[in-house]
Amino acid sequence: MNSAPATSTDTAWLCSLLQAGDSFYPTGSYAHSFGLEGLVQEGVIRDRETLRQFLLQSVLPTLRHTELPIAAHAWRAFDQPEWLLIGELCVLSSALKTAREARLASENIGRQRAELAANLHASALAQEFVRRAAAENWPHSSAVAAALEGRALGAPLPAVLAGLAYTTLAANLAAAMKILRLGQNAAQSLLTETLAVVPAVIADAESTPRDQIGWFNPWLDIAAARHETADARMFIS
Amino acid sequence: MAEFSGHLSLRAAARSDGRTALAAQSFRAPYHLSKPYWDESARVLLMQVVNPTAGILAGDQLQSEILVDGGAALLVTTPSASRVFRMKAGSAECRQHFAVAAGGWLEVLPEPLVPHRDSRYRQTTIVDIESGGGLFFVDQLTAGRVAHDEAWSWDRLCLEIDVRLDGELILRERLDQSGESLRALAEFAGSGPAACLVSAVLIAPDAAVETPWRATVSSLHGDGLWVGVSALRRGGWSLKFVARDSVRLRQAVRDARTLLSASFPRLACDPRKL
Repeated sequence: MNSAPATSTDTAWLCSLLQAGDSFYPTGSYAHSFGLEGLVQEGVIRDRETLRQFLLQSVLPTLRHTELPIAAHAWRAFDQPEWLLIGELCVLSSALKTAREARLASENIGRQRAELAANLHASALAQEFVRRAAAENWPHSSAVAAALEGRALGAPLPAVLAGLAYTTLAANLAAAMKILRLGQNAAQSLLTETLAVVPAVIADAESTPRDQIGWFNPWLDIAAARHETADARMFIS
Repeated sequence: MAEFSGHLSLRAAARSDGRTALAAQSFRAPYHLSKPYWDESARVLLMQVVNPTAGILAGDQLQSEILVDGGAALLVTTPSASRVFRMKAGSAECRQHFAVAAGGWLEVLPEPLVPHRDSRYRQTTIVDIESGGGLFFVDQLTAGRVAHDEAWSWDRLCLEIDVRLDGELILRERLDQSGESLRALAEFAGSGPAACLVSAVLIAPDAAVETPWRATVSSLHGDGLWVGVSALRRGGWSLKFVARDSVRLRQAVRDARTLLSASFPRLACDPRKL
């Protein structure tokens, strides 16, 4: 007979993780569309159905092959801090983004998340990361910062990855509601559909070797690159 | 069918008269080298790497290393597309390493890769460049044998590139998608069933985020051709192109090189001169 409890009753990390994933949390992600506005300007994303295709064919695969595996590797590296590896993951995260403003979006959000983890939770780990990142000129990364946040809060890896997936999908949909004719219910229905896929995405991403991290979508990269010099735009990226 | 374990090793160096010469060369089938040509106007040594076999076959293991010394300038191209043939079993692999010293220039401009149905191919590229070195690296991929109604139907295709500037990773790209996944993206973006892709990297000593040529190259975008230019972490730019077919893609690369040659004169070398 297994006497272990079926579920953990320690929910302190859960409350803090919910806080970090809320749109109220000041990461600055509201200023970014993560390439979405560029694809709208190219006429690729026009309505709910094309937005749905974008989420399924681009956003989820990018999470699966890039952001979540980096966060998983970083979460493990933060256990007994392997600072050399953590620095390499920051560089890898940056080098994987060929569009400048996509890279800067990740860096800005990552920096803000890391500093919030250091300041709000008085996490020695987060404070040391912020210090080392500045001293060694590591590019910040939203994926690495999510892992750091998780470690600072004591959250398990699947919850950290779920939080990162949720904030990514929600940020894309929040941006879409400002650009497209898309109501709240339609956005929530898309969020519900894509979140249903997330557990399988997380399971695959958790076991991705470091040398297999990466995903190729030249259309998104081109749209993001062109968005940098667009005559008119609502979002930074 | 013969399996090849081919290798190619080149080192380009500057001679006392300022011309570039091959200071060292070594190759084994299926690699073969054409006679080099010195382009006096562009000040570049042009080399063609020829694969005298039909293309890349199951079991092929290809390895190449090309080094460019300071003061030397080299353009490496191929005379025709590289076909990756259908594989009943096994796979093929190509490992490439390019290194450019400060003051050197290397352009790598192979003709497109054409992965056939049921092919399995992995290409790993590592570029090491020193500050002050220059590079234009172009990777072209077609959907397959489109004229045979055979597109996006490889079994496994993995194309990886790491670019390091002074040892620091500034770019990593990894295409390891199913043909079906890329076909869906191409159709979603309106590029059609025969879309062709180019990912290029330009590293230049005076790299700045904003440059005059960025707007002119970006202006090629339109009428089914996608073009994007963006600054890398440091030291250079990523240039990407997507065209509806290989003819349009070939023209886009030609046009981009012509526009870029105003700022990077070595790109004025005609790769089809030989």
